[in-house]
Amino acid sequence: MGALGDLAGGFGTALSPENLFWALVGVLLGTAVGVLPGIGPALTVALLLPVTYSLEPVSAFIMFAGIYYGGMYGGSTTSILLNTPGESASIVTAIEGNLMAKRGRGAAALATAAIGSFVAGTIGTLGLTFLAPVMVEVALKFGAAEYFALVVLAFTTITALLGSSLSRGLLSLFAGLAVGLVGIDTLSGQSRFTFGIPQLLDGIDVVTVAVGLFAVGETFWVASRLRHGAEEVVPVRGSVWMTREEWRRSWKPWLRGTAVGFPIGSLPAGGAEIPTFLSYSMEKQLTKHPEEFGKGAIEGVAGPEAANNASAAGVLVPLLTLGLPTSATAAIMLAAFQRYGLDPGPLLFDQDPDLVWGLIASLYIGNVMLLVLNLPLAGVWVRLLAIPRPLLYAGILVFAGLGTYSLNNSTVDLVVLYILGGVGFLMRRFDIPVAPAVVGVILGPVAEDHFRRALQISQGDYTVFVTRPLSLAILLCVALALLAPLALRTMRRRRERVGRRVAAS
Amino acid sequence: MMDRNRDWRRFQPRLRREALGELALAVAVVLFGALVLYETTQIRVTPAYSKVGPRVIPYIVGTGLVLVGLWLTIQALVGKSAAPSTESEDVDVTLPTDWVTVGGIAVALVVYLLLIERAGFVVASAVLYVGAAFAMGSRRLVRDIPVGVALAVVVYLVFTRGLDLRLPAGVFEGLD
Repeated sequence: MGALGDLAGGFGTALSPENLFWALVGVLLGTAVGVLPGIGPALTVALLLPVTYSLEPVSAFIMFAGIYYGGMYGGSTTSILLNTPGESASIVTAIEGNLMAKRGRGAAALATAAIGSFVAGTIGTLGLTFLAPVMVEVALKFGAAEYFALVVLAFTTITALLGSSLSRGLLSLFAGLAVGLVGIDTLSGQSRFTFGIPQLLDGIDVVTVAVGLFAVGETFWVASRLRHGAEEVVPVRGSVWMTREEWRRSWKPWLRGTAVGFPIGSLPAGGAEIPTFLSYSMEKQLTKHPEEFGKGAIEGVAGPEAANNASAAGVLVPLLTLGLPTSATAAIMLAAFQRYGLDPGPLLFDQDPDLVWGLIASLYIGNVMLLVLNLPLAGVWVRLLAIPRPLLYAGILVFAGLGTYSLNNSTVDLVVLYILGGVGFLMRRFDIPVAPAVVGVILGPVAEDHFRRALQISQGDYTVFVTRPLSLAILLCVALALLAPLALRTMRRRRERVGRRVAAS
Repeated sequence: MMDRNRDWRRFQPRLRREALGELALAVAVVLFGALVLYETTQIRVTPAYSKVGPRVIPYIVGTGLVLVGLWLTIQALVGKSAAPSTESEDVDVTLPTDWVTVGGIAVALVVYLLLIERAGFVVASAVLYVGAAFAMGSRRLVRDIPVGVALAVVVYLVFTRGLDLRLPAGVFEGLD
């Protein structure tokens, strides 16, 4: 009953006209940036972090959550109609979805994606509602050593499971950690890596890092190799509604996708990519129409889209209950909490139930808004893709300058922004993933804090991390997360070799 | 068989350049790690903090960077490089780097930096917008200038009036 009572209180907060307005702003912005290339929800939230100076925390987080969910809806529209997914989580949707659009069933693909997202988002939010209080109970047992181990686990999974190679992921992570060290050490009061520049004493702001790496870096990257001649947008033709047959083929993949997406998203390992791939291969196995896969099978859109949105809801479980972000967007939302002086974790549920439950309630509302905004209006959103690229990226730069300069009204921040923009460009040139660096900047100081506090409690005994059973268990998961992809890769290579031998003979 | 040979020859110079780039990256990472380690020795430590002081994590991070750099060096030397560059919606990865466009945007950004506190946010943003769009190939100034000015003014008003941010008014100082 506890969770339901809290949730009812949350609806009281979220349904106030002011908060409904911010939720609407959030879902509109989120859908727009999800559709547009070059900007994603992580960057949008980062650019809007300055609003935390004047907005109530609960309104700000309701808007951020709207951006987060909206980005998922918008991303699927682009990948279905353009075949170039905006986010890595929509890669799978693009496979079958774009083929469906080319066959003239684009409207049905958009509908199954939007309704599937709604179903999964709502079930995922229900999961969040009931899982969060349970996780809070568990989290209360955690000490500094466990928290440190959890952060290491998040680092590992974000680094090892994303991107093309482990070495590049680690490079990104360590570079982010190094940037996170700049400034005054909170425990000893010593300045570190400030090179005598007084403006660096406060550290390099997360906004500068995220905006530099995402916005300025992406703009430089696009400018250096601008694709000439726009990609072809498949026009939406055919019946707007799904046929009875399409409904029948969609609802099971929605539920299966949700069942895959939410648990994986809510693990402190997270990420939306893996559940979408899992769901896709699952639907391919289970379908009664295997001949349609590769030609535009609706199950291949319905399942992964549901998995994507369910895992987005799942990601909020470790974020809210442990303060542990497992995606770039969640990491920047954590930065927003820090800006308000709030510490997500079990205590937040006690100290600020209005905020937490208002946020959770707003997710239900946001999902309804998104369904209404996306189902009939997909064609309108797609027009955003007609914005000429020079104008789009020039606008991104204007907002990048605004977000960064307004942090401290200091041009030093702009210089740092430009340097990080150059770094972001080089990272794309060398195919180094950006997300681990952003997570490293935000979670690095958190990890150091827990690390040193654990060692202070143990009086300098480094074995504390492996002698506490909970901490040891988490560190074993770290080892698993590092070794599993290696094992998978070796297996795949062996299978390919066998395959080639078979083909050669 | 012939075809394959010809393809290979055409491919090789690019491959060698790529390997060189990889090597440069790896060396840069090792140097970056070394810089972190050196700077760590410069952090002052008070005796009370000798056990888990402000240097411990920086040492770990610096060492990590050096090790990753060495790993990348080995990968570059054995010719194992990952995919050449990140895919993106508006990017054609097969094109060579267009330094003129990149340079144009860099100039626009520097001008923005110089203008923002002298001429104010609105002027700096409008100039950045038009300049960056021009650098990326837009030649319709009749459209770009009004769009840039309108965007700068609207953003300025929304963020200063609506959200209470302080942005430099510059040449419009005292116009309220």
